[in-house]
Amino acid sequence: MSKPIFELVDNLPTNNLTVMMLKSLDFVVPGQWNNLVGFENTIREVTAETDQEMIQQIGDRAIWLYNDKSQGYQKAMWLYQTVDRADSALGTAALANKVGNKIPLVGGLLTKVTPNPDKAQALDLCIKLVVELVAFCQINGIPGDSIGDFVTSLADYSGESLMRMAALICVDGLIPLGPDFILKAQSILNNTSPKELGSNSTFKQVQELIPGNNTNSQLSFIGESFDSVKGWMSNFVEDRNLTPNAIFGKFQGFLEFSENKLDYVAAFLDMTTNYYEHTGTQTLARRLIERAVAEI
Amino acid sequence: MPRLPRRQILFTCLLGMILWVSACTSAPPSRFDQAQKDSTSRGATSVVKESEAGGSFNRYFPKAGSGYQKVYSQEKKGFAEAKLKQDGKEVAVMAISDTLNNPSAANKFKNSSETIAGYPAVSQGKTGTAILVGNRFQVKVLSRDPSFTESDREAWLSKFDLNGLSRLK
Repeated sequence: MSKPIFELVDNLPTNNLTVMMLKSLDFVVPGQWNNLVGFENTIREVTAETDQEMIQQIGDRAIWLYNDKSQGYQKAMWLYQTVDRADSALGTAALANKVGNKIPLVGGLLTKVTPNPDKAQALDLCIKLVVELVAFCQINGIPGDSIGDFVTSLADYSGESLMRMAALICVDGLIPLGPDFILKAQSILNNTSPKELGSNSTFKQVQELIPGNNTNSQLSFIGESFDSVKGWMSNFVEDRNLTPNAIFGKFQGFLEFSENKLDYVAAFLDMTTNYYEHTGTQTLARRLIERAVAEI
Repeated sequence: MPRLPRRQILFTCLLGMILWVSACTSAPPSRFDQAQKDSTSRGATSVVKESEAGGSFNRYFPKAGSGYQKVYSQEKKGFAEAKLKQDGKEVAVMAISDTLNNPSAANKFKNSSETIAGYPAVSQGKTGTAILVGNRFQVKVLSRDPSFTESDREAWLSKFDLNGLSRLK
């Protein structure tokens, strides 16, 4: 059985590699993300209620809603959890190697990290984007293939949801693929066969919830989704003058790496962080609580 | 004293380890354990099939305008919700829910002498005001910014098409 939602929210880390990385990205979406942790804390923050009886009622109703599989919240959680399973042992080892406030990306740590080829990285980016779309639809009760509704609501993204998109663009786009990551990803996607997609490990994990009857139509859906969101992504990058260098500069606040090891930074973060699961849990908790307080 | 058979020793050790591991991994008791237990028991459901589709509530929400924007945010069976923004900033949340899914929600209106637009009304917690329409549909406005006061909530509640909603069956 899946874990209770209140435990998932209570157990969110307050200071691991994921949190360090997201904090370093605050300059992209200033003040939007404050790592809200704990189920009761989230109830207080979302509703501004302090009355214990109210908090109990809101929490109870949120738990009922989450546990009702017909409501889609568990599917969304599964997607967020599955798309970025981090190697927690490597993350723990890295944290144990901390010198001062920084983790040196050297020696033994680097031998465990292999940079992804561009193709795998581009597919990762596109699949994560589709996972966000499908999870959004599950959480908000919109038919699962409503690309248009999702694109419209991106303009309204805020808080941890906006941070998730910021991290996607930076950590899975700009850093591994470079400043023209959108063009690169699109051209790679156009040259990917259904068979290649079918053998991609990220895709295989979430395939069952991607709209489409077979890999062929799922590939088209991923392509259509990316095509619809690329305008939003490129505006996001332009509005903020985001460059790989600016992001590497911020990562140097918690990682120590040399110029000739930049390739390894993306691969290391990919293996040791789970920002989709972390911020996705926060988004789900918020939506459940928002609905619960309106229904009690 | 008879020697314990090896198998028994092994079994005792294993049992001890299992108990030790499960004691370490189980979460501390929580005030939400009961809800977790009840909502995962066989046949438990948070939404009944007789409840109204969320999409059919949308047309009863107030129109925005004069500096306000309305952004629909959740639409589930028996529930629809929209954010109310003023100049881009979220100031309130408006929702319609079918109390068939959560019958205890209707109880709080029984002892209420207040009315808004002729419907029984209650203020709930610090930020919420709700009315019960047609003895079934709860319409609620929740402040998300201190500038949006109780009287704002009451004013926006009466802007819903409440008579239309009361005819929905």
